[in-house]
Amino acid sequence: MNIYLKTALGYIKRSPFQALSATFVLTLTFFVTTVLAVLVYSSGNILKYFETRPQIIAFLKDEITPEQISALQNKLTSDEKIKDVRYVSKEEALSIYKTATEDNPLLSELVSPTIFPASLEFSVTNLNFAQGVIDEVRKEGIVSQVGFTASLGGEKTLQDVVTRLKNIIFYVRVGGISFVGILGISSFLTLLVIISMRINSRKTEVEILDLIGATPKFIKSPIIYEALIYSFLGVFLGWLFAYILWLYLTPNILSYFGEIPILPKGILNLSIMFVIILGSELIIGSLLALSGSLLAVSRARKTR
Amino acid sequence: MMLSFKSVSKVFGDIKALEGISFDIKDGEFVFVTGPSGSGKTTILKLILKEYIPDSGEILFKGKKLSEILSKELPYLRQKIGVVFQDMKVLPERTVRENVEVGLAVVGVYEDEWNDRVNQVLKLVGLEKRSEQFPSQLSGGELQRVSLARALVVDPILILADEPTGNLDWETTQGIMKIFEKINENGKTIIMATHHKTIYEDSSKRRIELKDGKIVKDTGSKVSSKKKEEKEMSEVKESEEKEEKEEESNIKQKEKEEKPEKKIKVRVEEV
Repeated sequence: MNIYLKTALGYIKRSPFQALSATFVLTLTFFVTTVLAVLVYSSGNILKYFETRPQIIAFLKDEITPEQISALQNKLTSDEKIKDVRYVSKEEALSIYKTATEDNPLLSELVSPTIFPASLEFSVTNLNFAQGVIDEVRKEGIVSQVGFTASLGGEKTLQDVVTRLKNIIFYVRVGGISFVGILGISSFLTLLVIISMRINSRKTEVEILDLIGATPKFIKSPIIYEALIYSFLGVFLGWLFAYILWLYLTPNILSYFGEIPILPKGILNLSIMFVIILGSELIIGSLLALSGSLLAVSRARKTR
Repeated sequence: MMLSFKSVSKVFGDIKALEGISFDIKDGEFVFVTGPSGSGKTTILKLILKEYIPDSGEILFKGKKLSEILSKELPYLRQKIGVVFQDMKVLPERTVRENVEVGLAVVGVYEDEWNDRVNQVLKLVGLEKRSEQFPSQLSGGELQRVSLARALVVDPILILADEPTGNLDWETTQGIMKIFEKINENGKTIIMATHHKTIYEDSSKRRIELKDGKIVKDTGSKVSSKKKEEKEMSEVKESEEKEEKEEESNIKQKEKEEKPEKKIKVRVEEV
């Protein structure tokens, strides 16, 4: 075994409680980081889903001819800002209504297809185009009314829905990053304090090593190895707990969000996402350990 | 020459720790640096280790000016010097063996060699049976021997001992001194700072006496005549052996050169 690693393990064995507290704080940090990383991914997926699903419905007047419908459909399809144009007849509209009200058969018994307008449903390639497209379609003679499907409650325009959605996601991301940032700083400081304590308790040893000709690398390396061990252990445990938690919650989350692809489909894809998160966290953990230990060593050398 | 001090001065604030001192120490010498507390004994040792830098003058170690040694080269200078401290400076959380092994790890000796080398020095200092004990289980004299073993294990060319018997009783002191003498007999150069008169009074070793940072007495280089004789004898022996070897190789070469001729002669005779 590498002499530095052996020495670092020796230090950890001699002060198990310091080692435990460092690992605990780092585990907590990386647990929250993993959970938030998945939340950020999921919120991105929700936004993408709302941005790309058919959102705009142009309700058509009753007296129009199939040629007029076809002409408008072609016009919309040829527009680069619009995609997935679909015609929904009166019968289809009734069937959608019946599906939506199947819990209460009385509501569907009293209606006939004639009361439902035929419509053209479509989505925009970019939500920024939405309001402009709605205004243009409204001007068409055969269109009686234009509506949008996404609604979080009380929004007047599609843009309001998207703005509100974007705000929620922004707060999730900023809040999450701030929380992880605070935890990251507290982990860094804990690591710094523990490594500094370790160096202080080893002052005599460092002094002796210095006098008998130990190189700076020989003195520094076990300290850096020790910080790296804490960091890797914290990353792995934090990640593992978060992974287990997500695996446990996944069935409930998927059934709650229904067709919204909030998480990658299948255990393999989910695992790949978690492996990517682990890799990124290991890099962050290494940087945290290296910066913390090097700062502690340089502070100790200055005070000598 | 192992070490040369040339008009070295060191000042700490208003206190002149050393004032233009000069001396040379040859290979294999055992030198006591004596004098009362504050006379500059420890300062000399710290200057050799480059813990302090002289304010004026020059120190040469094996012909190289210490002032020319860069800070990144400093560990390699110190690896050539074994240090024994008054307060032992052993690592309390490590066993005797581990304390000695630290020296080898610092120098970068392969772990396969550690066992043999540690056992050898522990035997020399008489601690072979205490190797797995912790410092808290040892007496003052034993701790000092651990410190000495750590200094010796890296096979240094110079040993600096700063009051190594300062905290020990007379009997233990005598034991430690015997080990130092044995090491010196094996050819190691030793510089020992001490104020224990009883240690150097009856000794024939060289003594540099300091007072207020100045040398007040230097008994001069005393690489003992016995040692000189031994050295001369060994040199004569070596040269004789060399000559013998050369003669042997000459004879062999001649034989080689002669052999083909003999073979040719034999063949001619056969014909």
